[in-house]
Amino acid sequence: MNQYTFDSKLKTTLLAGIGLGVLCMIATWFADPAQIAEGHTHMRFWTNFLHNTVFFTGIAFISLFVLAAFTTAYAGWYVLFKRIWEAYSFFLIPGLILLLILGVGNITHFHHLYHWADAAEVANDRVLLGKSGFLNNTWYTGGTLVVVGLWIFFAMKLRSLSLEEDRSGTADYSIHRKIRIWCATFMPIAAFSSAAMIWLWVMSVDAHWYSTMFAWYSTASWFVSATALTILMLIYLKSKGYYTQVTEEHLHDLGKFLFAFSVFWTYLWFDQYMLIWYANVGEETIYFKTRIDQFPVLFYGNLIINFVLPFLILMRNTTKRKYGTLIFTSVLLFFGHWWDFFLMIKPGTLETAEHVAHMHAESSDHGDHGDHAAHAASSFIEGFTIPGLLEIGTFIGFLCLFLFVAYSQLAKADLIPLNDPYLEESTHHEVQQDLSGAGGHH
Amino acid sequence: MSAAVSSIREPLITGHKTYHDITEDLIGPTEKAPNFSWVVAFLLSVTLLSFGIFCLIWTFWVGIGSWNLNRTIGWGYDITNFVWWIGIGHAGTLISAILLLFRQKWRTGVNRAAEAMTIFAVMCAGLFPATHTGRPWLDFFMFPYPNTRGPLWVNFNSPLLWDLFAISTYFTVSLLFWYTGLVPDLASVRDRAKGVRRKIYSFVSMGWTGSAKHWQRHEYLSLILAGLATPLVLSVHTIVSFDFATSVIPGWHTTIFPPYFVAGAVFSGFAMVQTLMVITRKILNLNDYITLAHIESMNKVILLTGTIVGTAYLTELFIAWYSQYTYEQYAFFNRATGPYFWSYIGMMGCNLIIPQIFWWKKMRRNIWVTFLMSIFVNIGMWFERFVIIPTTLARDYLPSSWSYYWPSWVEIGIFIGTIGLFFVLYLIFCRVAPVVAAAEIKAILKTAGDQYVGENAKKQTHSHSH
Repeated sequence: MNQYTFDSKLKTTLLAGIGLGVLCMIATWFADPAQIAEGHTHMRFWTNFLHNTVFFTGIAFISLFVLAAFTTAYAGWYVLFKRIWEAYSFFLIPGLILLLILGVGNITHFHHLYHWADAAEVANDRVLLGKSGFLNNTWYTGGTLVVVGLWIFFAMKLRSLSLEEDRSGTADYSIHRKIRIWCATFMPIAAFSSAAMIWLWVMSVDAHWYSTMFAWYSTASWFVSATALTILMLIYLKSKGYYTQVTEEHLHDLGKFLFAFSVFWTYLWFDQYMLIWYANVGEETIYFKTRIDQFPVLFYGNLIINFVLPFLILMRNTTKRKYGTLIFTSVLLFFGHWWDFFLMIKPGTLETAEHVAHMHAESSDHGDHGDHAAHAASSFIEGFTIPGLLEIGTFIGFLCLFLFVAYSQLAKADLIPLNDPYLEESTHHEVQQDLSGAGGHH
Repeated sequence: MSAAVSSIREPLITGHKTYHDITEDLIGPTEKAPNFSWVVAFLLSVTLLSFGIFCLIWTFWVGIGSWNLNRTIGWGYDITNFVWWIGIGHAGTLISAILLLFRQKWRTGVNRAAEAMTIFAVMCAGLFPATHTGRPWLDFFMFPYPNTRGPLWVNFNSPLLWDLFAISTYFTVSLLFWYTGLVPDLASVRDRAKGVRRKIYSFVSMGWTGSAKHWQRHEYLSLILAGLATPLVLSVHTIVSFDFATSVIPGWHTTIFPPYFVAGAVFSGFAMVQTLMVITRKILNLNDYITLAHIESMNKVILLTGTIVGTAYLTELFIAWYSQYTYEQYAFFNRATGPYFWSYIGMMGCNLIIPQIFWWKKMRRNIWVTFLMSIFVNIGMWFERFVIIPTTLARDYLPSSWSYYWPSWVEIGIFIGTIGLFFVLYLIFCRVAPVVAAAEIKAILKTAGDQYVGENAKKQTHSHSH
């Protein structure tokens, strides 16, 4: 079966999931926790919106990036299932729409996600004023439009060339050579532009804070998530009778990526944490201090889920080849990196919301200046210090939307790109522990 | 063993080689008397090394005051060169361990020389921390051991100490990895040798017979070493970057330093591999084993890592502005426009801008361009360390103590000496061991020889099934 049918049963299930997400989001609109409710910022809703949008758009982006990187590196083993990444990359389109809603929200002050978007605040804050050359609506909305638009252009270009190769690929591989050029071109563009976007979308929720590592760190997080989702997708499609040629050999290699990049993510996490902790510069340490003091479950949970568990589980070769352990770790890591983004976004936005609530209280009750210590009171705020059921529901909704887009794309073309020059290598892929690194396989 | 190889792939061994040809071509050079150009190169290297030794003795005799360091700038040429050499030492292990994991077959053409280069480069690097004390006979103080010095221990909180551990571990593992790979090839040399040579090679090849059991153990050992070496590639330069980034010095304290240093190290390491391989393939006539496809692949790695490093430069620059932290902003302003502006230009030009010519296939496959570029990158990466170290220190928090640093002839002499040492060791290595891993080349012959894959294979009416 090389033609995927997106059957109505699955469609219904996914639509139900999207429905659940929408319901949860509506409920979240009215569910701001007590300490920030007075600000009327609907911060819980908007942070969930931002969090899931960035997480899933990022997965779409990194899928495209991986496709480009593998093609440029002459990799062959993944070709059987490269259509999955092509399909994932199409979530960039709804992603752009969602991001533009956030951008417009910045301009119209629908939301208060970003401290820097408040002109009155910026005017009284030298640091924010200094940053306003970058942290402003033009860059946020216009930049997003241009950059994600460019990514979409590349996604569509690569997809159309890939389909063209299916139809009219020839022995001289002229189409494949074209694909290579587009892929190589995309890589530097993607690297530069994604960093700027991550700073704007995520890092700037902590408007004063900065870290040069941040873009690397969140990109690694996206990559692990995308790999986990790919493993789950392959196992699901195999269970439905598709992708019979995809064997545990391919899964083994994906498992290695899952393992290696979990360790790499940890490496980046550690570097960022260690350097900030060691130098002990107040402007930087505040980022981790807030997280350790007020978000301990998220902070330590992040390391356990995203490092300790996958490290121990995936260490052995056999666990990278078995469905059970692979499914378990993939689900864990997919959720874990969603959790990681949750932790990146919530503390900064909570502070902004508290600030707004505080200002609101002040304007109705004059005189009580600068009592910032009071707001840190509660150690447990559902939807902020820990994901609540509404967050999980929203997550499911976004996931179903993502999958809906992906399956729709998968159904539009052959699952296996029959004229890809490396198809044969991919079909006969074997993971051997032979050390010449070559030993006659591929 | 399945041997599906896409016909779009280029062969990695050209000239229709048989297994016997490979042995002849690769083991052969160790059996002949050195040619004239080798002798000239060796004498030149020994001369440079001798001058370096002279400068070292001068340093120890006169004292560290013979270096141009001053009160403001306590780190100058020594640590710049140390980081430069350590960086160069990264390519070998990357090729042996990481490219192995990524199953890049082209690594077999260059891994042996790159690993050797790694070891020699780490040796050159190690010289600098050892001599910067000015009293190398007291260097054992650097090691933490139960001692008679009372409560005087090394500072475990210092990344400089971690560096010592990281580098000695790295050196040990690289050496073992390199030697493990050498054993089968040394046995091949032994099998063809006579007399004293045979005795020596039989000793160093540790009784290798090539039995199935030997290969099995060899592969197990290599697997373990590869597993250890992979995190080590990252750890060494990560800790070198900690030497700077754990501080509160503007321009040094930035979180991107670890991955950016690692990328820079790989970048400079590959450049040095290119420098050596372009010469080696010419002198030892190895064009069939280190083909244009190899050169092109390495140039791609150079382009990739150069662009990563460039991204990091621009990230640093941008975030320095974004931080709105005056000192950080000044540090970068000073790098670009201060008294050392030329080194900043050198760094940006050689590392970020010039390597972009490798976007063109013609350039990637041009030997002369490759050689010239590899030199540019070597210079550029030296500039990078120079920019980071003296440029930053010269303008410290107190303008009254601002200073300028330029190395004395002694410091320059030691640097020249390490270049001499590096080439002396490499040239000896070329003479005594196969510079391309013969056993590993044989292992890929059936999937990368030009009689099996690529254009030639298609033309012949070879009954090889794909």
